[in-house]
Amino acid sequence: MLRIGSAQGFYGDDVTRALPMIEGGHVDVVCFEALSELTLAILRKDMLANPARGYTFDVSIIAREILPKAFARKIPLITNGGGLNPTAAAQMIRDTAAKAGLTGLKVAAVTGDDMLARLPELQAAGEAFANMDTGEALADTANQAFVTANVYLGAAPIVEALQNGADIVITGRVADPCLYLAPMIAKFGWAWDDWNRLAAGIIAGHLLECTGQVVGGNSLAAMNLLDPADLAHLGYPIAHINEEGSFVLTKTPGTAGCVSVETVKEQLLYEIHDPARYLTPDVTANFTTLKLTPDGENRVHVSGVTGQPRPEKLKVSMGRMEGYMRELIFTLGYPAVWRKYELLQGMIAESWKGLPIDRVVYHRLGIDSLFGSISETPDYPDELVVRVMFTAADPDTLKTAVRRVMANGLSCPPGMSVSGSTVGGDPRVILGLWSSLIGREHVQPQITYMEV
Amino acid sequence: MRRLYDLAYGRSGDKGNIANVSVIARTPDDYAEIKAKLTAERVKAFYGDLVAGEVIRYDLDNIEALNFVLHGALDGGATRSLRIDPLGKSLAGILLSMEWDS
Repeated sequence: MLRIGSAQGFYGDDVTRALPMIEGGHVDVVCFEALSELTLAILRKDMLANPARGYTFDVSIIAREILPKAFARKIPLITNGGGLNPTAAAQMIRDTAAKAGLTGLKVAAVTGDDMLARLPELQAAGEAFANMDTGEALADTANQAFVTANVYLGAAPIVEALQNGADIVITGRVADPCLYLAPMIAKFGWAWDDWNRLAAGIIAGHLLECTGQVVGGNSLAAMNLLDPADLAHLGYPIAHINEEGSFVLTKTPGTAGCVSVETVKEQLLYEIHDPARYLTPDVTANFTTLKLTPDGENRVHVSGVTGQPRPEKLKVSMGRMEGYMRELIFTLGYPAVWRKYELLQGMIAESWKGLPIDRVVYHRLGIDSLFGSISETPDYPDELVVRVMFTAADPDTLKTAVRRVMANGLSCPPGMSVSGSTVGGDPRVILGLWSSLIGREHVQPQITYMEV
Repeated sequence: MRRLYDLAYGRSGDKGNIANVSVIARTPDDYAEIKAKLTAERVKAFYGDLVAGEVIRYDLDNIEALNFVLHGALDGGATRSLRIDPLGKSLAGILLSMEWDS
């Protein structure tokens, strides 16, 4: 059996939830999943400011607070928090470990997912990087302001690093569940065409990769079972994987939260499209044959997972700059809220005449901002919170727009107030995502080892 | 009057400009009823102008759940959307408010 803990589900998650897993002797390996579709673009900004950055700040916490304890117990750590710069992250980890007096420690950095600099060469070699949603070829799109282009790697380079004795493996973009699949393959030696077992590992990874979401977080099924304070310190999930491919999903013993058939079902279908064909670099997993069985307190047994061959090509996700957005929030109160709303909209439209604003959207918070026409509009509300979102190609236009609106501060609808923190806010970048495919022959992951 | 929430719970999330909503039955009888009546067309009509594209339903008899994939549901997706809930986290909840029978 292999016991895998999951202590991160996004950049900013509380990675120290790994500590009770490690110190309690509840896990054999811990994985940290840090990269959403948006995260790499955020890291690009850091890296442009400082070429030694480009990895997530959480890796520093892992190196300082978690690695010494895991290393003492020979528990390997795996993270994709290396973001755009796994090598720099590995150097930082090595330096931190050396300062802490650790010796005999091996850090592995996995690279080869970053395709940005190679795009021209790969296009010349016949890769069109056609947009998966629209079919448009990369070369044909007018906006070429791409800041990231990363291929989703599979488990293989992590497996190799673990088999070569790495104590911590730090990667860039790796398909989320493959981070978790890797230690299973390293331990059990599953064949790369053992589709059912690989798929079981992927589904275990899928259940683990959102940490709190399978132990009571974001859960309609669990919300009435938890003490409200528990949400602030849920014990993160652990899977006990059997060599034949079944597993038990549970959580860190002695911590808050709950694991039940219901919480597992909620997370199983989270961000899934066709459940019979869940594509990953290593296997196509099928969620429609598995069986969930309660297996004691906070334990759910998962069996019967099946899989099919892996997809022929790999997925590449690119991000490009598409302008800037800005937010302002106003409050309007009784009487005649709707007349005041009309006045506010008219005043704003008039002040922005001649400015190159691309989009303006009004949201009526607490009325219909979440659900649009599904929600009923009250005739005489006591209060209305108005959120104005607007975009432009450049941030200066947005700053001018805010100044012009604020200049009418004493000429506003009666009783109107504006949220000061939104007036003082900054324009936010709009990123466009461009998803496409690439032939496997163009992708060669590399592993760099550093030792202390 | 029962609402869908009396028969099911669920969760929603995003991938690009696509949202998915799971509807998980509370009992085997609830599942039979939901499977028979909660068609993709009905879900598409419920969301109205929130969902620009098509709605596809996938059935998971093994866990008594349906998965609805909503195309064009997020105003361009998390990185572009101007919505207050650009990730569609709230989309499952409002579907559960659907009036089921009177």
